[in-house]
Amino acid sequence: MFKQHDTDILILGSGGAGLFAALHACQTDPDLKVTLAVKGLIGKSGCTRMVQGGYNVALLPGDSLERHFMDTIVGGKWLPNQDLAWRLCQTAVERVRELENEIGCFFDRKADGTLHGKAFAGQSFDRTVHKGDLTGIEIVNRLMEQVWARPVERLEEHRALALIPTADGAALAGVLLVDMRGGGFLFVRAKAVLLGTGGGPTMYRYHTPSGDKSMDGLAMALRLGLPLRDMEMVQFHPTGLLAGPETRMTGTVLEEGLRGAGGYLLTGEQRRFMLDYDPQGERATRDVVSRAMAAEIRKGGTTEHGGLYIQMHHLGPDKVRKAFKGMVERCADSGFDLAGGLVEVVPTAHYFMGGLICDTDTRTGLPGLFVAGEDAGGVHGANRLGGNGVANSTVFGGIAGEVMAKQVKGEAHRDPDKALIHAEIERARQPFDKPLGDLNGLRERLLDIMWDDVGVLRTAAGLKRGLERLTELEAELLQSGLADQDQVFNLTWHDWLNLRSLVEVSGAIARAAIARENSRGAHFREDFPEAGDMEGSCFTQVRRRGETIEVTEVPVEFTIVKPGESLIDGDAGAPQARPA
Amino acid sequence: MKQGDKLAVRIWKGGADGGYTEFEAPLRANQTVLDVVTWIQRNRDPGLAYRFACRVGMCGSCAMTVNGKPRWTCRTHVSKVTQDSRLTIGPLRNLPIVKDLVCDMTVFFDKWQNARGRFQGRATRYDDIERIAPDTPARKAADAGIECINCAVCYAACDVVAWKPDYLGPAALNRAWTLQNDIRDTAQAERLAAVAGDAGCHSCHSQQGCTAHCPKSLNPTAAIAGLKRSVFQAVLRGEV
Repeated sequence: MFKQHDTDILILGSGGAGLFAALHACQTDPDLKVTLAVKGLIGKSGCTRMVQGGYNVALLPGDSLERHFMDTIVGGKWLPNQDLAWRLCQTAVERVRELENEIGCFFDRKADGTLHGKAFAGQSFDRTVHKGDLTGIEIVNRLMEQVWARPVERLEEHRALALIPTADGAALAGVLLVDMRGGGFLFVRAKAVLLGTGGGPTMYRYHTPSGDKSMDGLAMALRLGLPLRDMEMVQFHPTGLLAGPETRMTGTVLEEGLRGAGGYLLTGEQRRFMLDYDPQGERATRDVVSRAMAAEIRKGGTTEHGGLYIQMHHLGPDKVRKAFKGMVERCADSGFDLAGGLVEVVPTAHYFMGGLICDTDTRTGLPGLFVAGEDAGGVHGANRLGGNGVANSTVFGGIAGEVMAKQVKGEAHRDPDKALIHAEIERARQPFDKPLGDLNGLRERLLDIMWDDVGVLRTAAGLKRGLERLTELEAELLQSGLADQDQVFNLTWHDWLNLRSLVEVSGAIARAAIARENSRGAHFREDFPEAGDMEGSCFTQVRRRGETIEVTEVPVEFTIVKPGESLIDGDAGAPQARPA
Repeated sequence: MKQGDKLAVRIWKGGADGGYTEFEAPLRANQTVLDVVTWIQRNRDPGLAYRFACRVGMCGSCAMTVNGKPRWTCRTHVSKVTQDSRLTIGPLRNLPIVKDLVCDMTVFFDKWQNARGRFQGRATRYDDIERIAPDTPARKAADAGIECINCAVCYAACDVVAWKPDYLGPAALNRAWTLQNDIRDTAQAERLAAVAGDAGCHSCHSQQGCTAHCPKSLNPTAAIAGLKRSVFQAVLRGEV
């Protein structure tokens, strides 16, 4: 049983990508019916909102698109799709102006009233525009106000379950959702659909994204047989809060600026170790610090909960309190004294570079399906620069809104594969018919498998063991039922659905990580520690064919610049030279 | 606190005509109210409904009534709200209950719009970004209220909303005041008219429940007082 509903444009997700898509679709063609479906509340459940650092844009005097682009390509270890990266840098300029002038964001100014750009690791220019250290709240609050003011149909607490193509599979017909509040199923037929559910690698023991993230978008795309790229590329942030088991505080991010300002990382015995790994010490890039921390943790000598410490008090507790007010307050709310004491930290899964393959207009290989934000792959390659995540979601979300609105004009709805809708409903309802299972135990096992075998430091043996353990886990999950049979706001059912998506995507991560026999950016193989030949760089592509999941390597096309070449004078990715 | 200590937790179950159910949960050194709710859902009552997302005080999804007061549960350490290991957790006041701890926040967001809580500028994406000094009194007044996360804690704390359901409430009016201080905004007369009516700023009795409970330490009472002054001056000028 399901209800049916028609719209012109259906947008899944309400982070920066979804909100901008809705806005631009309305602006491009006000006569269209635009529907925004989101797992939580509009504007409250995406990760754009959680952006602390800021927005990379080549808008300030002395910067250039070429410089932003080169930083992105070098940071991504030559794996990014260069056309996507160029479109990102180019459109970010217009998007930041739009955010300020039309949407109403107010970014931090210098004393003379011009925009302030802050320094961020891996960039050769101080280009990160920001609102204090809560940039995401400013961007998403202002965007959601604009979307509320327009005739956008809101499907809040509606979770997408499956992308439904036409019976011949030639194009997308719509999306099957579950109304979480009412408990019923809803099929929304749409002429164009944007996948903007966001990534969020929450299958790792320690993770930073919003607690409701479950990678449904990529799981749905994988199930439909669409090609995903760079699936091995999971960015780890070095300083996740470690507060022990059974608290949602564990894994949440303590900002990058703490290390930048001179914070120390210490072992359980309070010994500084970062200088053993890198001459930049704690100020080395995220990937280097995360790997050093993982190596130290493996050696033993850890803190009470198995991590390391961050120490700030040598910089002066009062100064720390002033410079990092938000972080100090958050730690205090959790019971920790960041300014004066030691806080336990651990590397934590932060961002997912991999995603669905698309072109610069956000089109995927399936007509009718568009993708933007963390669900899309190729912009960041092997590593994302801090400040390029919110640029990615807002730039391509806006583009998707315009492109979809132009495309659907005069198009008719397509009829769905009805049998598939029924099969997907059965699939979602599966745990209601099974004997009660131990979802908590399964969740804990998934977190451990991914952390231990598919984590910061990888080997062929570990990855293969991880994949085997994932296969066993999936089989058990499929036999695990629920105690509560009500479909209305049944969070435990949604926990089951979350786990199912996460297990499916985890398998793709492990397979891609096995295939990449070198170490690039966020992906580190202890058995293949070299980066490999840059000119011959390939990206991995994962897709389901029938019952098997196939991984291929696809050569990177250097459409704008080749390894060894540069569009700028000076070093890309290097900190800006400062007068002595 | 020692190993094995327990919390006695009462949680609202059902809709408006529901009631409290008692649970026992382990007391831990590092534990927020959201963690307690999560533990009960995962271990005792799989049907328990609650809403959360970011878990770090950014999204404003998880506010509930905790021992009689509205709070953001992801950033409320258990030790802060109970000395005797007892917790009573219910949905927010002044909003319709969907199920258990989940409220329907639609009316809260609608009022934000009714207070014209959105920016309207004259420049476009093709124009340069305006040069604006960060330290003018107007900009400082705008900045003072801008970090609201729309969690509805103030709305639930407000007695005027309880007595007068049409009242726009502290969050919407706070947003309106930040916009009245934004020199880029071009809808200030319309906004002032929107908040000058019966359901607007003059309904506020300055009881400061909003300010006392705001988890971000904002001061909506001061913002509403600012709106009252602006409306008064506009009336004197014959503009409202």
